[in-house]
Amino acid sequence: MPELFQPVDLDEALAFMAEHPGITMPIAGGTDVMIDMRIGRAMPEWLVDLRPLQTLKGLAFEGDAVRIGALTRLRTLELNGELARRAPAVVEAARVLGSVQIRTMATLGGNLCHATPSAEMPPPLLVHDAVAEVASRDGSRTLPLADVFAGPGATTLESGELLTAVTLRATESGSGSCYLRQTVRWSMDLAGVGVAASIEAAAGAVTAARVALGAVAPVPLLVPEAGAAVIGSPLTTESAVEAGARAAAACSPITDARGTAEYRRQVVAVLVARALRIAWLRANGEWPAGLPAPINGVLSGATS
Amino acid sequence: MKLELTVNGDPYRREIAPDATLLLVLRDELDLTGTKWGCMTGDCGACTVLVDGEPVVSCLQLAQQVRGAEVTTVEGLGRDGELGDVQAAFVRHGAAQCGFCTPGMIVAAEALLRHNPDADEPEVREALAGNLCRCTGYNKIVDAVLDVGRSRSTTA
Repeated sequence: MPELFQPVDLDEALAFMAEHPGITMPIAGGTDVMIDMRIGRAMPEWLVDLRPLQTLKGLAFEGDAVRIGALTRLRTLELNGELARRAPAVVEAARVLGSVQIRTMATLGGNLCHATPSAEMPPPLLVHDAVAEVASRDGSRTLPLADVFAGPGATTLESGELLTAVTLRATESGSGSCYLRQTVRWSMDLAGVGVAASIEAAAGAVTAARVALGAVAPVPLLVPEAGAAVIGSPLTTESAVEAGARAAAACSPITDARGTAEYRRQVVAVLVARALRIAWLRANGEWPAGLPAPINGVLSGATS
Repeated sequence: MKLELTVNGDPYRREIAPDATLLLVLRDELDLTGTKWGCMTGDCGACTVLVDGEPVVSCLQLAQQVRGAEVTTVEGLGRDGELGDVQAAFVRHGAAQCGFCTPGMIVAAEALLRHNPDADEPEVREALAGNLCRCTGYNKIVDAVLDVGRSRSTTA
């Protein structure tokens, strides 16, 4: 049975973790940690309660960026109108994760650091160029969010390091993004396939595009060649389908209870094309701001 | 570890294990057994309570992490022996079959209606998506919640 350490601030938390290497586990919302302890996947001697660390909570918009503290709850992201306008994919992913109760407890940092391949939040953050801030007793560093993930349930964070914030590119206008997923049920289900896409547009053409996938590789996957397929011209059915084909070729899904590898690969192709289409419409102001994209990618009028 | 908590308006002080869940404290220490012990993995919602007005699954909530918070359980939704309006609507609509999910359903519905009494059917279903009814009596539950929403909107 673990003991519980409740630090007064981040420095105290980091010092405690440094002094107790290998036997601490940070706990924030607890929705993953409590289950992991119950099934014996995690057996820390000390839980370090992050909830008192007020400085790690909340969103700050600065120019074309938004910085989100690691302790920010997913429910807070889901209900943030400014974020819905600037980074709709992030809000859409937050909204379909778990249930209201789970989202009220779960934090962004927890969802990222648990490093589940099917986790909802990494793909939308990756298409918004997320940079992670990591702190330890010895200082802090930044790295691309993609470099945080090492494999199923594993991150590249060193012992004694904590994820403290994520900074996204989230422009005021001229951009759009979208998150779609395939699930068996609408709620309380993990993605069989998760797809995020973002597009920046100017003068009627795509100037930048990113595609990221969840649940179809050991880690959340950015697919640069998929985004590259649609750059330089208006988005067309052909370019979106080509991007989908490249994403399907880049992923490495497994067969499990949520789908076969073959099925998932086909779903990737379809959802990438659809997500790019919605992101393109949003970048051009033709998809109502803040309107959630249909769950499960079911959609009429904007398919590939 | 010492725990101070306000539950349904009453202050409590207890000595608890550091890894005790809020669910365990409510049921075993405070004898508030309306909150149900279900899946213990956050999937079923039978243990839903409000912490500072927001719904959480108390089976995954370390009690120490909500020290000092205001907790509301299903027992706190009635007053002076009278049922609360959500509880009364569940009775009126026959929205309970075996009854095991009912406290969690009622607390989750209360959380929704406090913020959004005008919630429409999709919003009600989304708000209750984390509460499983294995008798599958969802339609009457949704009807009951919509009914309360209508009457709160009119009287507000």
